[in-house]
Amino acid sequence: MKRKTKRLWIILGSMASFAIAIVLILSAFSSNLVYFKAPSQLINHPTVKGTTIRLGGMVLANSLHYSHKDQTPTAQFQVTDGQAAIEVHYTGILPDLFREGQSVIAIGTLDKNNIFTASEVLAKHDETYMPKEVADALRKSGKWDPKYGPPPDAATWDHMTQPK
Amino acid sequence: MTNTSSSPPSQSSFNIHRFANPRTFLRFASKIQSWVTISAIIFLVIGVIWGLCFSPADWQQGDSVRIMYIHVPMAILASGGYFALAACALCSLIWKHPLADLAAGEIGPIGAVITALCLITGSLWGKPMWGTWWVWDARLTSVLVLFFLYLGHITLLHAFDNQQKGYKAAAILALVGVFDLPIIKFSVNWWHTLHQPSTFSIIHAPAMSLSMIWPLIFCFMGFALGFIALVCMQLRAAILERQVRHFLLNE
Amino acid sequence: MTHLPYLIAAYGITVLSLGILSFHSWTRLKRVQKKLIQIQNNQQP
Repeated sequence: MKRKTKRLWIILGSMASFAIAIVLILSAFSSNLVYFKAPSQLINHPTVKGTTIRLGGMVLANSLHYSHKDQTPTAQFQVTDGQAAIEVHYTGILPDLFREGQSVIAIGTLDKNNIFTASEVLAKHDETYMPKEVADALRKSGKWDPKYGPPPDAATWDHMTQPK
Repeated sequence: MTNTSSSPPSQSSFNIHRFANPRTFLRFASKIQSWVTISAIIFLVIGVIWGLCFSPADWQQGDSVRIMYIHVPMAILASGGYFALAACALCSLIWKHPLADLAAGEIGPIGAVITALCLITGSLWGKPMWGTWWVWDARLTSVLVLFFLYLGHITLLHAFDNQQKGYKAAAILALVGVFDLPIIKFSVNWWHTLHQPSTFSIIHAPAMSLSMIWPLIFCFMGFALGFIALVCMQLRAAILERQVRHFLLNE
Repeated sequence: MTHLPYLIAAYGITVLSLGILSFHSWTRLKRVQKKLIQIQNNQQP
């Protein structure tokens, strides 16, 4: 065997074994690599009460309201993944993108009444990029309301916004 | 350790050395240099002006979405640059090609700058939109790992007194690090992340209006051509520096 | 528009760092080309 061919096989062999090692490691730690947990996961597999968890999901339509205890208002809303919803309480400044129908991540703890007290709320925007006019036209057509979730597939925008 | 001078002359008719020897490359590179540079500048000027002034604002992100025209090309080029680095490493380890070693040495620093820009612009985009500069989710962390792979490559290349040893060690690191690329690409699909999944895919229509895709394509073309032009320029300089050293040693 | 500083910072940092990088590699190429010509001139006479 020529030296070059030998080197090629050595490199390919070590790369392949390395790839297997990485796949094994990643699949073993897969549950730790998720940044947040969905409400249904949290309810079905409860963690120890009081540990800090990251809860991710969509803010349920018509669930957001504010209660004024002191001077700063506390936002109360429900986070859902379609299967379960968890009540979240948060005192502080919400990100600009926060609204009903937006995906958010709340960082905090779950108490025994299944109320999640967040110390931080992050907005997780979706992968859709859409000009304001298109969004307005979609809303006007009555086929999409941002309150109830992410916008429809981009391929459908044109015929959804066309006047009949 | 094998070395080329002692190995028997290659009998195959295909000899990669003939197709990519430094002198041929130098002639080729200086011929295309100005064309690549000029078209990069044209694409960039059109793309940036289009993106900043004429493309529409996003319905919920507003004008912040214009950071995308830098962030997305930088992210693609950070991965693409590392792929080129790994390809050079493969050529260097198997065929012991001297041009591959030089190219890897020049791609590394440029790739590191681009990855840093990807992280910085992403951070500047994340703060107003997500509400945080940085989170340790799978996508962001794997790109940070890519940045450190670039830095490690640069360091290893210069860590040895024997330059050949440095090239070899850096090439091995470049090949090992290539596994980070699929992790970066698929992290948003495999695990829950704060970073949104990819807007572009092969099977779906892109979830972006055409009025934003066009300036993005122009910006990407501009940055990609600019990357090629920069690597070309640095590599020409590196080859000439080697010639200068050679002359000075022989005097 | 409250997010303008972020936009300006992103574009500014990109233009600045890529500008420095391009300038550096251009001067590097010119310097070594000049040196090479100098060496070749010294060898000829």
